Amino acid sequence: MPKHIARLVLLIVAFGVAGLAAKAFFTTDSFYRFGHYRADSVPEIAALTPVFQTPRACRSCHAPRVVEWSASSHKSVTCEACHGAAPGHPQSLQATIPTDTVRLCTQCHEKMPGRPLSSIRQVDSSEHHATATQCIACHNPHAPKIEAMAQKPAFDRKAVAASAAVCAGCHGENGVATNEAWPNLAGQNAAYIARSLGSFKIGARKDATMAPMAESVADDDVPKLAAYFSSLSCHAPAGKRAGNAAAGGKLAIQCSVCHGDNGRPVNTSWPSLVGQNSAYLASALTAFKDGQRTDPFMSPVARALSDSDIADLASHFAGLGCGATSN
Amino acid sequence: MKRDDKPAVPARRIFLRDISRGAACAGAAAGAAGLLAAASADSGKSGTGSAESFPTPDYDWNKHRWAYAVDATKCIGCLRCVEACKRENNVALDAHHFRTWVERYVYIDGEEKPHVDSMSDPLNIEASGSEKLYRFANRYKDAKVDKAFFVPKLCNHCTHPACVQVCPTGATYKTRDGVVLIDHKYCIGCQYCVQACPYGARFFNHAKGVTDKCTWCYHRITKGLLPACVEVCPVEARMFGDLNDRDSVVSRFIRDNRVQVLKPETGNAPNVYYIGLDKEVT
Repeated sequence: MPKHIARLVLLIVAFGVAGLAAKAFFTTDSFYRFGHYRADSVPEIAALTPVFQTPRACRSCHAPRVVEWSASSHKSVTCEACHGAAPGHPQSLQATIPTDTVRLCTQCHEKMPGRPLSSIRQVDSSEHHATATQCIACHNPHAPKIEAMAQKPAFDRKAVAASAAVCAGCHGENGVATNEAWPNLAGQNAAYIARSLGSFKIGARKDATMAPMAESVADDDVPKLAAYFSSLSCHAPAGKRAGNAAAGGKLAIQCSVCHGDNGRPVNTSWPSLVGQNSAYLASALTAFKDGQRTDPFMSPVARALSDSDIADLASHFAGLGCGATSN
Repeated sequence: MKRDDKPAVPARRIFLRDISRGAACAGAAAGAAGLLAAASADSGKSGTGSAESFPTPDYDWNKHRWAYAVDATKCIGCLRCVEACKRENNVALDAHHFRTWVERYVYIDGEEKPHVDSMSDPLNIEASGSEKLYRFANRYKDAKVDKAFFVPKLCNHCTHPACVQVCPTGATYKTRDGVVLIDHKYCIGCQYCVQACPYGARFFNHAKGVTDKCTWCYHRITKGLLPACVEVCPVEARMFGDLNDRDSVVSRFIRDNRVQVLKPETGNAPNVYYIGLDKEVT
């Protein structure tokens, strides 16, 4: 072989070896493990933290709500579809309670060409109950069908009455409280009793007496106890009333949007105000006003009331007695 | 120039000879070292590679073959999926970059072509009030609509992905469980893949300077969760499951329906199966 050809071959081989060596040196170890990509990037992507939890995660604290929701026509709508993703919840307190329910509900329920009627119930929001400012005035978002709200769970009256004896110490055997500062439960909406009891259980509502009581109630007993007290007949409170009932009646117009014209709300998730003690109504409103109790709808309403307004309103609603029996 | 002025062996040749000898020695040494290193790495892997599950200890990608199904006849265009995807995957909150999106097709009486709109339409942005929230404006409320429907779209995670073929750096690839992923550390932002995708499923992430697209929420499915869009869909129009499992929701969907895929003629063999599409939907 001529000398210059040999040199050229040697040079080419040298460059080739140098190239391969450089490639081996610079290529990440995992690059060809499975193919022409960096295998390590797969576990890197798989290790990202999920943002959306599932209703399973909500259930651990919000059991009463989840039970109510999972039996309703909204059961295919997960918690986070409406409340948003809640990474870091509960520490971050980031979960949202939607305040503009008209906007939220119409995202799915507004009648629209292309939206299949077989998939979802649709309404024209400009015609559907045009006087209500919010959907939740009538509908419970966790159990939205009006007819379904009236249904109560089946329970063994004797068995539940036995466990209700603990409650009777304060709320009375007939659901009429032994002290006017405590709420009457007789005839109260079952869904509202269940929600309140559930809130005390998880610590969302605080009360030195109620919290340990609620803690001792089993999850399954919450709806049964609620249905039991709801089934007791309403008693008109006999206590004295401090405020001016007539003045309260005028103020009560704003309450009627949610609580109904005669104190009985269409949406049974909201509390019925009939047959309630004046002193308890006043203390509940004061608690919302002071921030001891919080609620996205009640808090701003209560903050706008003066102390005498609260006394007038309490007097008005207590004065309704058991009111008109039907709504 | 006189012949005598030249030395017997020119300096150029001496230089080249020395350089080539040096390079050969260095190259051989480095090459040998490199090959040894590669060989030892290979032997190290073959010892444990077959036993351990990849990519995580709890998830073996050899056991799954993921697929996605869309029942367009159920979709109500509520865009919960779009908002969920944006938040789950930290996608820019604007009306122009989406990992998944929903298109509306409206056929109006007397017109040949459908009206097609999506979240980037100015009227829809106006209806939502912000580019961070998504909502279809009720714009055809009073029109004489012959036919209208919504079509959710996302990356098809093709069996023969054109985007993977054109990637010059190996930054995008197909996993063994059937998901097309992007390695953001190796992506150089050349956007060849954006051009190659026949479905427009890829977009450029301007903040990171890399290409982005749907991963079927790989970080969720490897933990036994559903993709965020499937999780929040209120009407079960979006479905996700394992083709290796005959009873998975997607296997049953494909078996029980006459399904179709988008643009089968491109040869990409997509893995998102639809029912309820129409002739204008591609």
